[in-house]
Amino acid sequence: MKHQIFFIARKELRSILRQNSLKVLFTFVIVLLGFALYAGHISYKQQKSMIETAQKERRVEWLGQGNKHPHIAAHYGTYIFKPKTLLSLFDFGLDTYTGTSIYLEAHFPHDFMFRPVQGYGNIVRFGELSAALVLQLLLPLLIIFITFQTFTKEKEKGTLKLLASQGVSMKIVYLGKVLAYTLVVFTITIPFFIGLYLIGVNNNNDLVLTDLGLRTFLLFLVYSVYLWVFTSFSVWVSLQSSSARSSLLTLLIFWIVTGIIIPKTSANLGETIYPIPSMKMFKEDIQNDIANGMNANDTKDKRIERLKQRYLKEYRVDSIHQLPINFSGIQMQEGEEYSNKVHDFHNAKLYKKFKLQNRAGSFMSFIAPYIAVRNLSMAFSATDWYSFNDFQEKTSDYRRHLIRTMNNDMAMNSKYGEFYEYKAGRNLWETIADFKYTIPKATMNLKYYWIELVSLSIWVLIMFILIPSSFKNKLD
Amino acid sequence: MKLILLLWQRESISIMRNTFQIIMLGSIFLLGIYAIYYGHSKISVQQKAINDVENIESTEFENYKNSFNTKHISTKEKQLFDIASNPAFAWYRHQYHAILPSNGLAHLSLGQRDIEPYYYKLTSSSLYYQLFGSELANPQKLYVGNFDISFVFIYLFPLLIIAFTYGLYAEEKENGILPLLKLQTIGLRKILILRILFYYVLIVSLSIVLSSIGFMVATEINLMDGFLWVLAVLCYLSFWFALMFFLISLKRNSSLTSICAASLWLLFLIVMPAVLNAYANIMYPIDNTTLADVTRRRSIENEDDPNEAKAIIREYLHKRDDLKGADSLMNINTMAKTYASFTALNDNHHRKEVLAYYNQIALRQKKIAQFRWLNPAVNTQGILNKIVETDSKVFQSFYHSIENFHKDITKFYFNRLFLNKNISFEDYNTLPEFNLKIDKTAKNQQIRYGLAVVTTTTFLIVLLSLFIFNKRPS
Repeated sequence: MKHQIFFIARKELRSILRQNSLKVLFTFVIVLLGFALYAGHISYKQQKSMIETAQKERRVEWLGQGNKHPHIAAHYGTYIFKPKTLLSLFDFGLDTYTGTSIYLEAHFPHDFMFRPVQGYGNIVRFGELSAALVLQLLLPLLIIFITFQTFTKEKEKGTLKLLASQGVSMKIVYLGKVLAYTLVVFTITIPFFIGLYLIGVNNNNDLVLTDLGLRTFLLFLVYSVYLWVFTSFSVWVSLQSSSARSSLLTLLIFWIVTGIIIPKTSANLGETIYPIPSMKMFKEDIQNDIANGMNANDTKDKRIERLKQRYLKEYRVDSIHQLPINFSGIQMQEGEEYSNKVHDFHNAKLYKKFKLQNRAGSFMSFIAPYIAVRNLSMAFSATDWYSFNDFQEKTSDYRRHLIRTMNNDMAMNSKYGEFYEYKAGRNLWETIADFKYTIPKATMNLKYYWIELVSLSIWVLIMFILIPSSFKNKLD
Repeated sequence: MKLILLLWQRESISIMRNTFQIIMLGSIFLLGIYAIYYGHSKISVQQKAINDVENIESTEFENYKNSFNTKHISTKEKQLFDIASNPAFAWYRHQYHAILPSNGLAHLSLGQRDIEPYYYKLTSSSLYYQLFGSELANPQKLYVGNFDISFVFIYLFPLLIIAFTYGLYAEEKENGILPLLKLQTIGLRKILILRILFYYVLIVSLSIVLSSIGFMVATEINLMDGFLWVLAVLCYLSFWFALMFFLISLKRNSSLTSICAASLWLLFLIVMPAVLNAYANIMYPIDNTTLADVTRRRSIENEDDPNEAKAIIREYLHKRDDLKGADSLMNINTMAKTYASFTALNDNHHRKEVLAYYNQIALRQKKIAQFRWLNPAVNTQGILNKIVETDSKVFQSFYHSIENFHKDITKFYFNRLFLNKNISFEDYNTLPEFNLKIDKTAKNQQIRYGLAVVTTTTFLIVLLSLFIFNKRPS
């Protein structure tokens, strides 16, 4: 049986090699893949260099800001730039749509600024060329073009009946064909992912991404499964179709509906079902909660009074002037802590809506495998929303640590009612270590993508179920 | 005329019998309706945000005005009156909003409206501290894009055209009907053109019906915008019909014709724009890291030193000839004047960097625009965005208008602050107002040019197809 499958596969490969139009398409996809990788690499290097330079400058600025009151330093703050992850050269993911830098300042947890898309104009909405795009959308189209008449042609020429008369079962023909086309796809993907890994190893001189090998392997695995599913499905459609034309039409419709229409409509539907507030109202709600409290009758004034009484009682004094520490610093830090609590609450609510919106898309991956591979590809390239959110959380932690250090220093080393009299210097600024970021391991991200993993597994299962039985001959 | 009716009747029957084609037409129509609904709901949400913003602003200023008529007994009342009347507080507390209202037809093509902020909160403190925020958005949603009616016309209608026309010649040949058609006196080319025309009328009618529904749900409609919209859609669909006529003229089998048509669709809608974006990323990268420092909230090194404070005020007043005499008044509200001067000087200092950033964007978009003529899909999307004022140029005009608005706000408060004049109740009648300036002449010129390019391309393809059809053997 194995021998027969290989025989059919060899015959199929020879037939593919004879078709000049397919050779042209094959070359086109490879050139596009190469160009996408090249462009991604250049872009990655450019962005990386800009970000590293800017980050170093900001660090020098922070350390060299001179002697000043810690609260002024907390307002002066610093900036953090989102580092380009190495695998973003393969899949840009959401990098174009998330902010690139954040200003860390006392009292105001700013949002990320400068989404690159804001400068790219209308054309960017048509999509950017990345190697991931080629593998997700263009290679499946090549698969359609090479497979749509694999069975219909045999039916028209009568060669299928000839094979059957020689005792070759439909299952063997089917498996042979799937094997042949899978091999064609693998001749593109295997060298590509090896190349991607080598480029990665050659460029991975920072600690942002520590599991390049695993991530590249996971990407290879996901794309192999996706492309195998697409290949098997295309061959199956050809088997089921009465003519090459209907096979081609069915496959093209499947490609457009699952690759273009469903991903867009599901994302739009998700947004309609789970609407998010405008930035203005979002900020107003936060400010309102900070001023009036998250619980009833817990205004800012009352919280300050409570804090004051607590400290007076703790230190057994009658006035905050008698406290051995500067109450202003304590009050500021308490204000920060409360503000952090309010922000965390509202951000959690907002991110829950983002997740629900995205989940609407994820569920559609049961119909459109493209969505599953797109989301997993972004996740393994660390350019997905969860990776961005992790970075966002780390910058928030860093900001909180910075502000807390400044406030504590103010509380411990200055007196209540004095401001200009106390100045901290480089010794204090140096206690704030430079911001370093490492992307969590790829395996940590998997828990967010169980729907995509299940849907891809179901697609694989369906493809196995669709394999014709040995005893059932379609020709009968 | 009789022949046209006869052929069109035959095509109608053929469509009615073809379940697949009926489903396809129905699906595209329903998707079109959903796209209009989606666009409309998105703009409604934005309109609600604009209303909220306007309400917040008007309530705030109403409170300030009312504070002139209260007795200021409580601390809060006193504070409110201080903010309302004393420019030393008002210059950084009074919040204005610059709003980019949506065009009546914006729901048809959302363009950049989900990416660029459409309102800004402004005080007379540093412009750049306030300018670079973003609107809340789910990045994954931004990445996927909008399913508006322009998407349906640009992406899906060409597929409809391909599905209906790819087999007009080849299928007749494959079904053995071609020899019969050749026997007709009117000629094969004419029959083919009449059949294509039938689908042209059908699909164009569908686009007009959907556009009309889109116009009907619009809150207001400018007739010229509506006319240009329909014209742009017609030009684009005509281009695709011309392209299909060209492929049919090559007289290849139906599979090859459909593969070529699908490849062209892929080329215009995905490959070409994607490659162009990649090219722009390499050749014209935008470095926004230089702007990070610009947005920083700065404080004066030695703000407690009166000499340093006055030096800052003097430096600012040196640039303001219209505030002569303010030098002698700097002992009152010194700290407020110092910080007001400091933020204005800082903005002046950073203007070059901000300009350089916007120049990078303008250069990138200018270079990309040079390739627009090559791709009618990108060109038409640009035209549609331009008609409904959701293109990036509108946002650039918005930004320039904000700069002017900020200048007006600054002038209003700084004049009173530096000349020690309180804000009076009457001053509230002359508060700065935001004026959005869009260059309509340039907009119309760009639309006309874009339409001319698509029309010329279509015309040339039709001519070439007619020539090829006669030359190639059946």
